[in-house]
Amino acid sequence: MLEIKNLNVTVEEKQILKNLNLNIGKGEVHAIMGPNGSGKSTIAHTLAGKPNYNVDSGEVNLNGEDLLSKDPYERSLNGLFLAFQYPIELPGVTNASYLKQIVNAHRKSRKETPIDAGEFLKILKEKSKLLDIPMDMHSRFVNAGFSGGEKKKNEVLQMDLLNPSLIIMDETDSGLDVDALKTTADAINKLRNDERSFIIITHYLRLLEYIEPDYVHVFQNGSVIETGDKTLASRIDQEGYS
Amino acid sequence: MKTLTPSIMELTDNFSIETNSMDLSISHEIINDELKLKITANYSQIPSRIKLISSNRSNFKIIADIYLNENATLEIIDENDYIIDTSFIFKSFLASRSVLELYRFNKFQSDTNNSFVHTCNMSNGSIFKDFNFTNGSDFTNNETKINLNEENAKYVGSGVVMSNSSKCENNLEIRHLSKSAVSDCSFKAVTRGSSNVSFKGKVFVDENCSNTQSNQISKGLLIDEESKINLTPILEINNDDVVCSHGAASGKADEEVLFYLASRGISKSEAERIYIQGFLSEFIEKIEDAEMQAKGQNFINENC
Repeated sequence: MLEIKNLNVTVEEKQILKNLNLNIGKGEVHAIMGPNGSGKSTIAHTLAGKPNYNVDSGEVNLNGEDLLSKDPYERSLNGLFLAFQYPIELPGVTNASYLKQIVNAHRKSRKETPIDAGEFLKILKEKSKLLDIPMDMHSRFVNAGFSGGEKKKNEVLQMDLLNPSLIIMDETDSGLDVDALKTTADAINKLRNDERSFIIITHYLRLLEYIEPDYVHVFQNGSVIETGDKTLASRIDQEGYS
Repeated sequence: MKTLTPSIMELTDNFSIETNSMDLSISHEIINDELKLKITANYSQIPSRIKLISSNRSNFKIIADIYLNENATLEIIDENDYIIDTSFIFKSFLASRSVLELYRFNKFQSDTNNSFVHTCNMSNGSIFKDFNFTNGSDFTNNETKINLNEENAKYVGSGVVMSNSSKCENNLEIRHLSKSAVSDCSFKAVTRGSSNVSFKGKVFVDENCSNTQSNQISKGLLIDEESKINLTPILEINNDDVVCSHGAASGKADEEVLFYLASRGISKSEAERIYIQGFLSEFIEKIEDAEMQAKGQNFINENC
């Protein structure tokens, strides 16, 4: 599904990722843990194609295609989804209108007709219910004035609507209280299947107690220094990174 | 939604008025190619509505005196796409508890010059809702002067300008001349091509005007390197018992927002369109009339 080979990335003239190698198979859930500044979010933004994240060398293939040569929007249309740590506010655009537009962008790339308004509302109701999102949230402007929990749930809602093959979650657990974390994790677990892979970036064990990873990688200085199963996350939680 | 009866007054071969009300008095005369209008609105159960209709045959200048008697409500709607030069000079007087709603949704042909000048005098408890959506024209001038002459008068205004290689000057002066009056103004501009847009918003609060509330915000979005936006908020406050705020900001589209949209599969050009649409729609909810709010939103969506 995803192959990262010898990836070197510089941000604002500072090298962050150093000869990073990572392989993620279909249906696998990989957790990335590591101290602040170790490059966890950099890998997320690099894969999504954020401007100013300069790839100095290396290769990334997603579903057999060169990911790095694609524009950010093409990466999304090719099945990559990044759930932001700090979701962006978009004043003046209602959440419902925004969600419909991103759904239609994906439908258009598949040469499908725009979604019918009634059908979209029905899907939105169903998927919002799974996440305990009240429908009136969709009348508000995108993420503007949303609580931390609402923003993160809105990210999970988008990943559900867009049906990606690779989901990168950049500290989705931050800003969630215990109940919201469980609701969000339940919704994410419903998205797990044999074709869809996850990269879960987190500082804490608690999300991984709900979403069980197949592999846990520890980042330090822009590289993977240790890989293990879910017990590695428990050890880090108890002993720290040092 | 209010029903318009098919009552159209052809004032010249170039200009007509559609009305829905018997509680309106409209007279006109033509002097030196200028159309002089006198409109008087009286109280009626169904608010009076006037729709301005241009045939775009030739350039025109309209001078209108508008009187709203006590408790009258009048909506004036100008929804024309102008391919000719225009000049409007409005003078309005709002008696106690009357409500004037002025909606302008105008696309101007690029090689035209257009001017709109309005002076509004407001009495006790009167309300003026003033919404202007503009797109295009080599030169556009909007000049509005509001005198909140008596207690509890309220002005709510919002301007949306989409400028394409054009010059657009906007001047708004709000004078709080009695206590407990309210003014709330927002201005948004998007500039493309070699546009030059200016907004000068002055709020004056006289010394006897306690319990004044005034809010003014102006924002500009520069789409390219050649465009210019000049926002000038001016406050002159002569009383301590006031709540006044103002803000002005201009800049380019936020790259973080564009990346967020791209990460959802939205192409760059489409992301810019959504961004502009959102930027201009931020204050659309100030329009309480659902039909007019929809017209404003459509205007933004069609012209982004």
